[in-house]
Amino acid sequence: MERRRFLIGAAALATVGLGAEAARAYTSDSRAHVVIAGAGAAGLSLASRLRRAMPNATITIVDARKEHYFQPGFTLIGAGVWSPADVTERTLDYMPRGVEWIEAAVAEFDPEANAVVTATGQRIGYDFLMVATGLKLNYEAIGGMDVSLIGRDGIASIYAGPAQAQASAAAIDRFIETGGVGLFGRPATEMKCAGAPLKITFITDDKARSKGRRGAVELIYNAHNQAVFSVAPVNAKVRELFAARDIAVNYNHVLKTIDPGAKRATYAGENGDVTLDYDFIHVVPPMRAPDAVLSSPLPWQDGALAADGWIEADKATLRHPRYPNVFAVGDIAGVPRGKTAASVKWQVPVVVDNLVAETAGRAPQAIYNGYTSCPMVTGIGRAMLVEFDYDGNLTPSFPFIDPLKELWVSWLIEEKGLHGAYRAMLRGRA
Amino acid sequence: MSDFNPTSIYFILAESLGIWLWVLAGLAVVLGAGIVAGIMRLRAAGRPARRPTMAALIAGAIATAIFIPLVPMWTLTDINALQAPVDYLFAVLIALVPGCATGAGIFFLAARKCAARDSTITGSV
Repeated sequence: MERRRFLIGAAALATVGLGAEAARAYTSDSRAHVVIAGAGAAGLSLASRLRRAMPNATITIVDARKEHYFQPGFTLIGAGVWSPADVTERTLDYMPRGVEWIEAAVAEFDPEANAVVTATGQRIGYDFLMVATGLKLNYEAIGGMDVSLIGRDGIASIYAGPAQAQASAAAIDRFIETGGVGLFGRPATEMKCAGAPLKITFITDDKARSKGRRGAVELIYNAHNQAVFSVAPVNAKVRELFAARDIAVNYNHVLKTIDPGAKRATYAGENGDVTLDYDFIHVVPPMRAPDAVLSSPLPWQDGALAADGWIEADKATLRHPRYPNVFAVGDIAGVPRGKTAASVKWQVPVVVDNLVAETAGRAPQAIYNGYTSCPMVTGIGRAMLVEFDYDGNLTPSFPFIDPLKELWVSWLIEEKGLHGAYRAMLRGRA
Repeated sequence: MSDFNPTSIYFILAESLGIWLWVLAGLAVVLGAGIVAGIMRLRAAGRPARRPTMAALIAGAIATAIFIPLVPMWTLTDINALQAPVDYLFAVLIALVPGCATGAGIFFLAARKCAARDSTITGSV
C-alpha cells in the first residue's frame, strides 16, 4: 500500500506541470467536523476529496460495510463475462488516511440537533453532514419475491449483489438451453442504473443468438410507463433495436407479484392486473431510501420523490433546503436523475468545491447539471455510450463516439475503462 | 472531454493497469534507449539508418496486424465486434503498442547488425 501511494504520488508530481488545471484545487483551513453517512462510491469519493481540500477538518465516515462493490460491473457478471471477484474490493483499501471510520450503520438522523446515531448507539455530532447512504433494494415490495430465490426457478436479478448476478448469469444460460418465455422490466420507482434492465434484455438476446437458440426463446420487456428509457432519442433507439431483434414490449406494466412455483408474474397494468406465464424472469426491485433516512425529517415532504424517502436537495447544489448544513450525494439524493456512479463522479466535486468555498469565506459557485451516463450494452462486445443531463440532452464526452450507435469502442470503455476511472474517483482523483 | 486532464488520465491509467503501467513504462524506456543506442552505433559506423528503419517498420506493421484481431479478444469478444471505422481506429491504436515495441526491438537489433557488418568490412580493408 505504501509503495503504491509512493508511485502514484511520484507520477502525480511528474505530471503536475501538465495538469495545472486539476492541481489548482482550492482548500479551506476550516476546523469543521464533517460527517459522511455511507462509505459507498459517493461516501469514499467525498472523504478523499474533503481530506485533501480541508486538511484541518475532522472527517468521520460512518458505515458498517467492509466490502465495496463496483456495481456497474454487475451487468457484466450477469452477462457471464466477469466474475464476482472482479467487482469485490475492501472498503478499507479506499479509506483515505486521516479519516475516522466508524464501522457501524447509521440508525438515525437528527438534523435538528446536528447529530447522527449509529446502530451501536453512538451519537455523533457534526457541523456538516453528507448523506451518501445509497438506497434500499426493496425486493419485499414484490409479492412472492425474495432475494434467496435468485438463481432458482428461472428467477434472475443482477441488482442484489455479485453472487446473485452470477446466479443470474447461470439462470440466463439455463433459460437459453431450455427455451420458453423470458420476462424483463423495471420498477415504477426511481432506480439506480436505469439502463441495466435493458442491458440484460439485450444480453440475453445476444447470448441466445450466439448459441443458435434465439428461435427457442421469446423475450418480452415490460416497461413501467409509455417508454423504455426516459431520454427521448435513447428511447427511440432502444425501441428500434428491440423491434429489429424481435423483443416484444408491453407498456405500463409494473411487476406486483410472482408465483415462483407456477412461474407466473402479475403486473399492474393500465386496465388492471395482467398475469403472464414465464420460464425466466429478470426481477428489478422497487427502490427506496434506507429506513434510517425514511424515518428522518430529511426526505422530501411532498411531490413525486416524497413517497420513497429520497432526500430533499437542490438539484444544482445537492444542498438540503431546510437543513443547509446537510448535503445528499449519490443514489439517496432526491434529484430528477443521477443514480449512477457517473453521477457521483460529477456530484462530489460540486459539493466539495461549494463546501470548501463556504468554509473559506467565498461564495459557493459550483453547479451540477444532472450529468449521468449509461453505457448501454446491446450485446457482448458492443454498447452505446449514452450520456445526458437533467434536461435529457445528450452530452457526449468524446466527440468521436456517436452515443446512439452500437460500437465496440463503447464496449471497450465499459469493459476496460470504467473500473479504473471508478477507482480513481474513489480516491478523489478523477 | 474537458474533465480529462493529464493528471486524471494518469490516475485512471494507474488504477486500470496497476503494476502493468510501470512495466509498460519501463519497457518504453528500455526500447527508447535501444533506439537511441542503435542510432548512435549506426552514426559511429557511418552507416545510414534506412535498412534498420525499413526492417523496424515492416516488423512493426506485421506485429500490429497480428495484434489487431487479438485486441477485441482482450475485451472478451472477437473480431466481429469491430463494426465502425472508430472501432478499427481504436483497435489499431491499441495494437500499435505491441507493434511499436516490436518495431523498436527490431530497429535496435538491425542497427547493431548493420553497424557490426560495417565495422567488419572496415576492419578487413
